[in-house]
Amino acid sequence: MSEYAIKINNLTKRYSGLWSQQPVDAVKNLNLEVHRGEIFGFLGPNGAGKTTTIKVLLGIIYPTSGEAYVLGRPAGDPQNHYKISYLPENPYFYDYMTGREILHFYARLFGIPEPERSRRVDALLDRVGLSRAANQPLRTYSKGMLQRIGLAQCLINDPELLILDEPTAGLDPIAHIDIRDLILELRSQGKTLFISSHQLSDVEIVCDRVAILNKGELVRMGKLEDLLSGGHVEMIAEKVPETVLEPIRQLGGRPSLHDGRLIVEQPDDGSIDRVIDLVRAHGGHIISVKPYRRTLEDLFVETIQGGRR
Amino acid sequence: MNATLAIAGATFGEAIRKRILMVILLAALVIILISPAFEPFAGRGQRTLILSFGFGIIQLAGTFIAIIMCTGLIPTEIERRTIYTILSKPVQRWNFVVGKYLGAVSTLAFVYVMMGMVFMIVSRISLGEFDPKIAQGLIMFFFQSSLLAAVTLFFSTFVSPLVNYFLSGGVFLMGNLMSSFLETIQRNPEVTPLTRIPIQILTVILPNFANFNIQNPIINPEQVLTDEFAYLVQTVLYAIVYIVLLLVASVLVFNQREM
Ligand SMILES: Nc1ncnc2c1ncn2[C@@H]1O[C@H](COP(=O)(O)OP(=O)(O)OP(=O)(O)O)[C@@H](O)[C@H]1O
Ligand SMILES: [Mg+2]
Repeated sequence: MSEYAIKINNLTKRYSGLWSQQPVDAVKNLNLEVHRGEIFGFLGPNGAGKTTTIKVLLGIIYPTSGEAYVLGRPAGDPQNHYKISYLPENPYFYDYMTGREILHFYARLFGIPEPERSRRVDALLDRVGLSRAANQPLRTYSKGMLQRIGLAQCLINDPELLILDEPTAGLDPIAHIDIRDLILELRSQGKTLFISSHQLSDVEIVCDRVAILNKGELVRMGKLEDLLSGGHVEMIAEKVPETVLEPIRQLGGRPSLHDGRLIVEQPDDGSIDRVIDLVRAHGGHIISVKPYRRTLEDLFVETIQGGRR
Repeated sequence: MNATLAIAGATFGEAIRKRILMVILLAALVIILISPAFEPFAGRGQRTLILSFGFGIIQLAGTFIAIIMCTGLIPTEIERRTIYTILSKPVQRWNFVVGKYLGAVSTLAFVYVMMGMVFMIVSRISLGEFDPKIAQGLIMFFFQSSLLAAVTLFFSTFVSPLVNYFLSGGVFLMGNLMSSFLETIQRNPEVTPLTRIPIQILTVILPNFANFNIQNPIINPEQVLTDEFAYLVQTVLYAIVYIVLLLVASVLVFNQREM
């Protein structure tokens, strides 16, 4: 058994333009590994190539060059599809079917026989909170309900790997939390999750590792703690003489002083203790010390803008 | 097989809810029902009128339903992205194509059974006799429409629905006319082989839809088909072989397709 849930080697996908259009490299030389059992955030702005990469992983489109492996087999290998599942962005289903019928339909695609099929469908409807709406046609479902049916169809085969494309797009905050909790529950069951998103607040909390993609290229990848380290601490003090400025600079801080009021932006590396000592030794009076952690949002904006420069 | 049948079932369920198809079916049923009312105009006799009217309407409705249904069969799934959740399950592309086709053929079977029942009841009541040959004619039309459905499905794997209407419609017309056109040409000594051979090739390649039009001997019993049973079996086999070839070609094209 391969240790990687997903392994992508040098993947390039070019959409050859029709007629006058330029060909687009939607993904360029992408290298990526997702370990089993982790939640992997696949981030990037609109048009970054996230969906394109996912389609390659599913065998819906083929690589222009490079290769992709899913659960140790080449992407698109039919054997894989028993163990993976996919939630497309803005999913749409046969809307004349009821919630229960559509889940039966997907279960039949796996060849799950009765009565096991009915048992699983009922359990899933319950799990995503749609038992009461189960016999309504999907065309009467709200966006949030459709997303929950989408998640239910993802779970019908008890997959090892779930690929979710923008699972929280267009949902309200409560639905976000429901989906986040479900994602965490799935991880605790040892499943691997590959989640694409351009919204950050939800993913931030749950992902073990993230990759940031921009214009088809991987610009950042790593453990969340590592990527988010390097925040800063802001200290404000009063009655501070100018003589402290130079020693603070030597400690790596960025001080500014007006009328004895000092504001210091200090790297989050423990040096703030020394700065506090310095200020107090010079007769200064500390007003506040406040840590500013970097958020994924910051990282995202920095990275993408860095990429555009 | 389970997956293929599930896809066929979903396709059937969707088709019989498609308004345009049901409007055509309903219109055909109404026209067949009221056809005896045209009796006063029946110059060539009541039997000819009712039978040719019924056969004509049924063939027309079956043709339109087959083309309209099948142009959208695959493009619609891609457009609204339902195909992604299906192909990410253990469903191979041939399962999908064959499932879609079986769904279309089940819809055609449903449509033909509905029209056939009404047609047979109307002819039984107004003609006072039940002619089992009517059923034979309907079965031939059913196979004709099923073959046309396979042609349209094949085109739908690589052209847009609009283009497909013209392509499928064109193939249907040509496939109906080519064999008699060729006969005419072959009887004419002035036609050079240079003209004749391409037409001969085209006639062989294009599906021969004319084979299925056996309504005339049914309407006019004085025309007799020689060795009728063998002819029917042969025509049905022709349809099945041609359909299988078209499905294989559709799968080959669809396997290369990116969505
Ligand atoms: N079928 C296609 N034909 C041509 N170009 C395409 C096709 N699909 C995507 N593209 C182009 O490839 C690029 C990447 O698109 P992709 O859908 O992978 O982005 P994404 O990261 O999923 O964006 P979003 O956040 O908007 O969903 C875009 O420039 C898009 O225009
Ligand atoms: Mg996308």
